[in-house]
Amino acid sequence: MKKLLVLLVLVVGLSGDEFEEFSSELETKEVSDPLSGYNRVMTSFNDGAYEYVLRPVASGYRAVVHEDIRRSVSNFFDNLYYPHRFVNNLLQGKFVNAYEETQRFVINSTVGLVGLFDPAKSYFDIKAHDEDFGQTLGFYGVGSGPHIVLPLWGPSNLRDFISMVPDSAMGPLELSISDDRKEHTPSITYTEYAAIKSFSVINLMSLNIDKYDKIKEDAVDLYPYLRDLYEQYRAKQIEE
Amino acid sequence: MIKRFLLICIALVFTLNLHANEQEDLKKHFLNKIDEVILIVEDNSLTKDKRNSEIIDILAPMFDFELMAKLSLGKVWKKLSKGDQEKFVERYVKRMEKSYSSKVDSYNNEEVKVNKVQQPKKNRIVLITDLVGKDESLDIVYKYYKPKKAKVKKDTWLVYDVEIKGVSILKADKAQFREFLQTKSIHELMDVLVENNR
Repeated sequence: MKKLLVLLVLVVGLSGDEFEEFSSELETKEVSDPLSGYNRVMTSFNDGAYEYVLRPVASGYRAVVHEDIRRSVSNFFDNLYYPHRFVNNLLQGKFVNAYEETQRFVINSTVGLVGLFDPAKSYFDIKAHDEDFGQTLGFYGVGSGPHIVLPLWGPSNLRDFISMVPDSAMGPLELSISDDRKEHTPSITYTEYAAIKSFSVINLMSLNIDKYDKIKEDAVDLYPYLRDLYEQYRAKQIEE
Repeated sequence: MIKRFLLICIALVFTLNLHANEQEDLKKHFLNKIDEVILIVEDNSLTKDKRNSEIIDILAPMFDFELMAKLSLGKVWKKLSKGDQEKFVERYVKRMEKSYSSKVDSYNNEEVKVNKVQQPKKNRIVLITDLVGKDESLDIVYKYYKPKKAKVKKDTWLVYDVEIKGVSILKADKAQFREFLQTKSIHELMDVLVENNR
């Protein structure tokens, strides 16, 4: 009789709701968010800037310039930032990836006509390994710190924000900024830099307009939604 | 002694095999579903609404949207009245269906590849897939579980979460709902879901 009871309890216990079992699996830790007030305001600002300025400009540009050209522009800028991918791969001990990045740079800069095309991927099947300094710090166990929404740039956190400094120190465009133009050395002024950078952003955006809209469709509360997407995405990138 | 050992070995091999079959079957089933969806997407004779409803009919048995609705609310779920629970599930399911059809709408000849199948637990299977497009590929992970009791009009294995580029949609919903509910009520949340469904 006793045995039967125990068995019964066991059976009932086992067939209980799946809810409990999954709750523990999906337990998410709360992100540190002391700046939530500011972040919320900045998210609405960015969203407004996107809806009323960036999107119209990017869609106009998309309507005029053929997709293949815009892809090539995007490839060109990607190729330019090879040094920062190379260094961050090395810093994380990902030697094979650093080597493949180098192969990509050599192939795309030559056969790919200064990086306008990506034959490394399409013909040689060498994939890109994007790494930035934020990922490098994350790799060595540096936590993300508080979430910060940057003006126009969008979601970030303290670690990734600070990492922009060493990353831009390796950026070829950033390196060639100088106030006085010297002869025979490629240099650009701050205004030119801002113009080039805006162009690359608009170009990239023109290739991804639908993506932001699709993400926004699922948002009930835009700020925490974007914050969570960003932090989950970065955690995954660092893990890889 | 040896006999017993052999028996255990056989039993082990047998269960391993069973699992392998389970995984293989699920993978096949998943790819079949995708093929069915692609056929409909590419059928130009259908109106958009008709197409979307057919796609939902194919995909719905694969997902446990009800469970996702519950889980997305976390601890709040248990505090809701029966009526609110039903209402919330209904709206959440509608929202998911709409969200899926809108994603499928942007389909552009991508190819779905299953890269890996994992079974972390007896009643969990994870399909690691790639949506390979012209220029980039998107890694999408489908997380399945096997309910203890089979559900009406549902597959044996059900998707309870999808991860796109490492972002779990269930976790993201959980995060935004939690924050929303800190200052607003569940009824306001349901109103927003209805608005999103329009």
